[in-house]
Amino acid sequence: MIHRLIYAIAGLACLVAAAGRADAHPHVWVTMTEELLYAPDGSITGVRHAWTFDDMFSSFATQGMEQKTKGTFTREELEPLAKVNVESLKEYAYFTYAKVNGKRQRDAFLDPIDYFLEYDPKETVLTLHFTLPFKTPVKAKALDVEVYDPEFFIDFGFAEKDPVRLVSPPPQCTASVQKPHDDNFSAALRLDKSFMTSEANAGMGSNFANRISVTCP
Amino acid sequence: MSVTGGERARLIRRVALAAGVVALVLTASAATNAFAQAGLFGGLRPPADTGLLGWIVAKQALFYRALSGLIRAAKTDGSAYWGLMGISFVYGIFHAAGPGHGKAVISSYLLANEETWRRGIALSFASALLQALTAVVIVAVAAILIGATAKMMGDTVRVIEIVSYALIVLLGVRLLWVKGRSFLHALHDVRSKTEPLAAGANTGADLAAHGHCDHHSHHDHAHHDHAHDEDGHHGHHYAHAHSHDHGEEAGVLPWGHAHGPEPEELAGPGGWRRGLSAIVAVGLRPCSGAIIVLVFALAQGLFWAGVAATFVMGIGTAITVAAIATLAVGARSLAKRFARSRAGYGALMLRGVEVGAAVVVMAFGVLLLTGTVASERMGMF
Repeated sequence: MIHRLIYAIAGLACLVAAAGRADAHPHVWVTMTEELLYAPDGSITGVRHAWTFDDMFSSFATQGMEQKTKGTFTREELEPLAKVNVESLKEYAYFTYAKVNGKRQRDAFLDPIDYFLEYDPKETVLTLHFTLPFKTPVKAKALDVEVYDPEFFIDFGFAEKDPVRLVSPPPQCTASVQKPHDDNFSAALRLDKSFMTSEANAGMGSNFANRISVTCP
Repeated sequence: MSVTGGERARLIRRVALAAGVVALVLTASAATNAFAQAGLFGGLRPPADTGLLGWIVAKQALFYRALSGLIRAAKTDGSAYWGLMGISFVYGIFHAAGPGHGKAVISSYLLANEETWRRGIALSFASALLQALTAVVIVAVAAILIGATAKMMGDTVRVIEIVSYALIVLLGVRLLWVKGRSFLHALHDVRSKTEPLAAGANTGADLAAHGHCDHHSHHDHAHHDHAHDEDGHHGHHYAHAHSHDHGEEAGVLPWGHAHGPEPEELAGPGGWRRGLSAIVAVGLRPCSGAIIVLVFALAQGLFWAGVAATFVMGIGTAITVAAIATLAVGARSLAKRFARSRAGYGALMLRGVEVGAAVVVMAFGVLLLTGTVASERMGMF
């Protein structure tokens, strides 16, 4: 009986603990289009993000912002908000992870440049544009750039149309896109992998990520 | 009962071990979650498209996204209100079934305390509705009165969050204090050679039922029986005679007089004050989703629709939390049944469970407070 009780309590504990997981359902949706920027020598200098937020979050984010014309915001009016955005994104490593030849890069990026917010009055959505320059330009056979929120507060997804563009790449380079739901891994396998591999190793979290793979054979 | 000294010692060890295991499981699972959340296992992400949790996540995401369309539609089409309320309700149910520390704290609290299922449900509803209320108040004051920006609202939520987490820690510490003492007390009961063995059969039920609040009325069990009868639930269980001599115990034990507040106070009149601490600790921090929905509704000129939706969400949330709370109360009464069948050792076991649950409440508070467990993000991201 003591065993039965322990199982009962342990079961409840697991239930409670599972319930106690941090927020794992998104409150913000981002539709992204990405550009990879090339230098004349064929190395990749940075990633240019364009993230469009869902209308509810856009409305929340613009709450209390000054506007000259009701129903729209100019780029200048949104400038302080854009600053807040990129500054708070730093804490989350811009949700952008790079792997060079299959090897995960730590602190691969410098602080964002050329950032601004754009408001679409028709769709009532905000789009955040910013460029993340690589600390050292990447010249590799294979580069993977992944965008995801490990805490899943933000649900990132590629735009349906032309999600990725290579900006003036060498002719032999091609890009492909992998969405998180494309992979064949079962949940159990993911969990297993996540627990067994350390972050230093390749591929952590990548099974869930939106991945851009660039190959230059 | 003919238990020899050797057997008794073995039993003590076993019960202590069992209690330890339970406490360990509880804390370990809490910690595992915390680590998982903190990304210590390498950015573990909940499986988004498989399993029950994945299904829940997918569903609530769907409902949440439907809210914006319904609020828009409600501007021109009155019938969209019904859809809005319906989706808010279902979203609330699913939202609570997904991750969130509220359920964990409430069910641990109920595991640690002697409560009726009715009170568990009341606790769940009160905390969920308080949560809805704080969201409405924050948006009403910040967005409407002050014209605050999203960042200012986020900062406000962060302050409230810290207070709320600190309250959870305090709640856990107090539970641990009370339950720890009871545990030591039960441990002594089991070890005590002076205690008549025959009385041991009642000790379990006695400890479980009264949690040693006998310091003010050493033999007045009838008083407690009434308290339980008011709840109409457990009353009849304790209606048997108690031959156990608490006076003797009190004389023997240095910690015989546990003057801390007792869980039974919650079940009796005036107990709401104690329940309130759990309600406030859990319900103070508003749900990020509710705030976003409210601000969106405000921008659409339908603030009141947003307020109604928020409270309907709260009711949905409360239903799920109440279901989990009922499970916790059930598990506890199972533990108590076991405790009663095992005399003093069972009581020790029950106390061990309570201590474990108290540790979980405290651990959650600490992990939330230190940011090890990420809670819902607010502010710009």
